[in-house]
Amino acid sequence: MKYQLKIGSETLTLDSSNPGCEQDMQLSINGKEYHVCCNPLSDTHFHLLVNGKATEAFVFSGQNDEKHVCIKGLNFLVLNDKVPLSRVKRKGFEEAPGEITPPMPSVVIRIMVAEGDMVKKGQGLVVLSAMKMETTLVAPTDGKVKRINTFLNAKVAPGDILVEIEGEEVDKK
Amino acid sequence: MFKKVLVANRGEIAVRIMRTCREMGIHTVAVHSDVDSRALHVLEADESVLLGEADPIDSYLNITRIISAAEATGADAIHPGYGFLAENPDFAEQCEASGRTFIGPPVRVIRDLGDKTLARRTMESAGVSVIPGTVCPTNDPAKLLREADNIGYPVLVKPVAGGGGKGMRVVSSPEEMQEACLSAGSEAEKAFGNGALYLEKYLKNPRHIEFQILADNHGNVVHLFERECSIQRRHQKIIEETPSPVMTAQLRSAMGNAALSAARVSGYANAGTVEFLLDESGNFYFLEVNTRLQVEHPITEMTTGIDIVRKQIEIASGEPLKIIQDDILQRGHAIECRIYAEDPENNFFPSAGKIALLREPSGPGIRNDSGIYAGVEIPVEYDPILSKLIVTAETRKYTLARMIRALESYVILGIKTIIPFLIDLFKSPQFLEGNICTNFIDHHFKDWGQNMNDADLAGIVYVMEEKTRPNKLSPGKSQTDWPTPWETLGHWKV
Repeated sequence: MKYQLKIGSETLTLDSSNPGCEQDMQLSINGKEYHVCCNPLSDTHFHLLVNGKATEAFVFSGQNDEKHVCIKGLNFLVLNDKVPLSRVKRKGFEEAPGEITPPMPSVVIRIMVAEGDMVKKGQGLVVLSAMKMETTLVAPTDGKVKRINTFLNAKVAPGDILVEIEGEEVDKK
Repeated sequence: MFKKVLVANRGEIAVRIMRTCREMGIHTVAVHSDVDSRALHVLEADESVLLGEADPIDSYLNITRIISAAEATGADAIHPGYGFLAENPDFAEQCEASGRTFIGPPVRVIRDLGDKTLARRTMESAGVSVIPGTVCPTNDPAKLLREADNIGYPVLVKPVAGGGGKGMRVVSSPEEMQEACLSAGSEAEKAFGNGALYLEKYLKNPRHIEFQILADNHGNVVHLFERECSIQRRHQKIIEETPSPVMTAQLRSAMGNAALSAARVSGYANAGTVEFLLDESGNFYFLEVNTRLQVEHPITEMTTGIDIVRKQIEIASGEPLKIIQDDILQRGHAIECRIYAEDPENNFFPSAGKIALLREPSGPGIRNDSGIYAGVEIPVEYDPILSKLIVTAETRKYTLARMIRALESYVILGIKTIIPFLIDLFKSPQFLEGNICTNFIDHHFKDWGQNMNDADLAGIVYVMEEKTRPNKLSPGKSQTDWPTPWETLGHWKV
């Protein structure tokens, strides 16, 4: 039994020599050995002994084999690296770097630039209003405003490209 | 005493108010928008009235519809909660005009104290020291620029009709004034219907200390001690505690008396909060009076044993306050943190969606004022506060340990919350020392990311969940789909 999982920026290669029963399992993650005894309390609630240490965990499965795991107040999004991620939202600005898109459904309340403007990294482009907060979307790089695809009072959603910036190469963090 | 109270609010505070009403034998009416039809506050109430569509203008901010709901249900009093119409004098006035009691201060007091510059002038006349600032509201950036020169940079641009941290901008130099006024003015216009601004001197590392006051309609005023609200983000409070780690008996006495003076000079009645800023030299300055119940009122309730909502209802119905200042004592320590539906790793962008899984903390000294339940859909149209976690113990150190334990056992899956961020905040050595100021998060938690030490554990849980699920469903299907006959067929033999 072998899994390739992705949690945040980390990739976990999970391998088990005796996938037999979950009550008593030996597995390795990126080479590190773990002895796991698992006691499922429900579909979403688990009690585990991992290398002798007791852990309580909660899990919720999403649409694409990804699972949201909660352990001691911390939430982990665990993705199966083998499954195509067409529908799973990646966090942050990993769309094409010059495409400015809203993080959540919002309303455009101010457009601060015009097509053809030269902008600097961090410069405000569009101000959105959502959940009573104002958020400013900024230019991820230096460049020129190639196109503005939105207008004042437009209702926008993640995936809508509001502004296109034509710029220098982005150095990915 | 009232027979039926309409709660003109939603979420955790509406639930909390209704609970006290229930304990007092008072019938409750919930009002809601269409996206809140299955919200917890609607489920909690004895009856509910649909106001309109999700936009607050059509629902929770709609005075006409709320008063109509009160008339239709025969409610004899209205509790406004916090936010929304809680400090709207027109609402209070129309409520009273319709023959119902507004559970809060008199209309005139709300109006006068709601004008922040008038409030400052009133306090100055009563000998309460105020922060250097302007006394005349304006929208003219040129005027504000001149005033800023008088006060000295940095200054804080604030909305005259404001509250809750909205519409505030720090201006460190004249060049920033124009944009700050535009931005603050529009946010204020949207949040309070009034975009007028004023200026205050921006104090460097102030501590935000407020006093809870209670006043009846017969001239009795008391304070219920202080709360410190020094952990803020974007000028919104996240963590509050009582007593304040820097308070001395002397300072408490001086500030308490200032709070009582503020209450008396303004003719206050019902519950309210007098806010002060404490600078690094131990000088305190009047900031404003919040003429409503505050989000963080539970920490005062935990340490004084007084149900502030009950007192609000009693005062509003004409009963005299039966407590005197010397009777009011504080025991132990209490801390509250607000559980916001925001992603702390993505600039705290609000996170809407369905709560898939919820397990709330419990145990000694734990109070969780929740507005959610597993399966509820969190709408995008409102403040992202899901619940408040309040913890109390004998000492500050014990309270911190209890808060960390409670947060580590708090499970909310389906949307992002700030719980992981809060855990690290409370574990930080700076917080333990009580060395806090309103810029705490900017100073110590600027580029925070959740620690990934337990990533391996999460991977293990992933695998365990897969293995122990009775029917392995094909990718793309959700857990709630019915299994197909092929999956349930079981053994068969030709």
